[in-house]
Amino acid sequence: MMDVLVQVIASGLTLGAMYAISTVGLTLVYGSLNMLNMAYGALLALGGYICLYVMTSLGLPAIVGAVAAMVGCGFVGLLIYHLAARPMLSSGNFETQIFIATIGIGAVLENVILRVFGPQPVAQPLTLTGAIVIGKVHVPTQNIFILAAAFVMMGMIAFLLGSTRAGRAIRATAQNRDAAQLMGVRIGRIYAGVLALSGALAAISGIMISSLSGLLPNMGGDPMLKAFVICVVAGLGNVYGAVTAAILLGLLEAGAEYLLGVQYSFAVLLVLVIGVLIWRPYGLFGRKQVVRL
Amino acid sequence: MTVLLELQSVSAGYGFHLVIRDVSLTVENGQLVALIGPNGHGKTTLLRVISGLIKPQRGVINFAGHRIDHLRPDEIVEAGIVHVPQGDLLFPDMTVLENLRMGAYPRNAAKQEPQRLEEVFALLPKLKERRHQLASTLSGGERRMASIGRGLMAGGRILILDEPSLGLAPIVIEQIYEVIRRLRQSGRSILIVEENVTRIAEIADVLHLLDNGQFVWSGRSSELLSRPELLLTYFGG
Repeated sequence: MMDVLVQVIASGLTLGAMYAISTVGLTLVYGSLNMLNMAYGALLALGGYICLYVMTSLGLPAIVGAVAAMVGCGFVGLLIYHLAARPMLSSGNFETQIFIATIGIGAVLENVILRVFGPQPVAQPLTLTGAIVIGKVHVPTQNIFILAAAFVMMGMIAFLLGSTRAGRAIRATAQNRDAAQLMGVRIGRIYAGVLALSGALAAISGIMISSLSGLLPNMGGDPMLKAFVICVVAGLGNVYGAVTAAILLGLLEAGAEYLLGVQYSFAVLLVLVIGVLIWRPYGLFGRKQVVRL
Repeated sequence: MTVLLELQSVSAGYGFHLVIRDVSLTVENGQLVALIGPNGHGKTTLLRVISGLIKPQRGVINFAGHRIDHLRPDEIVEAGIVHVPQGDLLFPDMTVLENLRMGAYPRNAAKQEPQRLEEVFALLPKLKERRHQLASTLSGGERRMASIGRGLMAGGRILILDEPSLGLAPIVIEQIYEVIRRLRQSGRSILIVEENVTRIAEIADVLHLLDNGQFVWSGRSSELLSRPELLLTYFGG
């Protein structure tokens, strides 16, 4: 029994850590721009594939692959801001327009990946072999690595938001756009920066996910849906709530997989979302009608 | 006296709907200029045009000898125009101290943050008591003080106040006006929007009456108080 518990907690934490990274990328953008980035799933896949390309075709080390993926996806994030979000910002219907526009961008990105890399599943080369033994349970080194990388990323995001000038400006913009402008925050820069950061987080998350389940052009759809679920449960735009909710949902998913079977784990998540939406429509950690970072 | 802020025939609005039409206005160094008039007649819009949140459709705005109507809001703040908005617009999930520090966000204000903070705490001691509290937990009067304090953190050469007494209890209004009086004595230029005519007339150098997007009367306080028909029409006596 003890061993099962260790196993479930270990895989739950790994899932949760992966979800946390992708959810933070999504919720940062929603919090500061009121923008649901539907191209996010495609960005996850793009990050995984860039890492693959740099490591296998160019033969460069893993760290170069990861950095290249972050830079590449960050750049695509910037493009999304300048080509899609910025021209629509002043429109009264920004939220709907950007939602639909990013669905289109996501479809284009996925098809570019399909064209370049083909439809067959590929293994992510950035993987660690071996396992750590706790009691009778083998926890793969890969999982430990994912957990550690996720904690480092979360620490960096927390430092950025809490202790830097740019981070304060991001939080101010999320909490009150007009007031931030009146304080001298150049919000165009903030928006561009947040989308680039979100792209980089998507890349990291895409590499992590593909290192466990392999690369496919449409691999981002499922994690993006889960990230949305976590965002809604936490309260859209709430970064710290998103991390907590991601870990909790990761554990819940691992528990549900063990107790009910893999086919029910996603259903359990969706039931939970419906429950949260009925009970607290503004999310577990959200406040009524208030977007916060 | 030198002219600090000057609006020449400014018109602005939302889409095709002009909210302010052909408004001209000057604020001289050290002056307190008040915009009065009924609700919904463009006073707040006019302030938002000055601080760049809304671009004017026609007209020119000069500040300290430079044209500013094409600048972004952040550039206008850097130039020295500080706008304390209506309804305070504090950052609800930041502490009072973090809110005040956001006021010193402009590069040139950031250097002077520590001494400005001392000055603001000296002027508004309540904020020092509350500095570690989240802005969303403040009372209405404390919020107003935090909002004004946050504006003062930017330094700035002109302070724009949008209805600083709105929604406050009389005793708190008295405190806020004491602060405004002190700022005025220290020689700061102020542009203020106020509903409470008799109160603002006591301290303003010049008043402008805005009706339906246009100035219908401008003059000194004493002149306004001797025009009972104006007071009756616009403010119900």
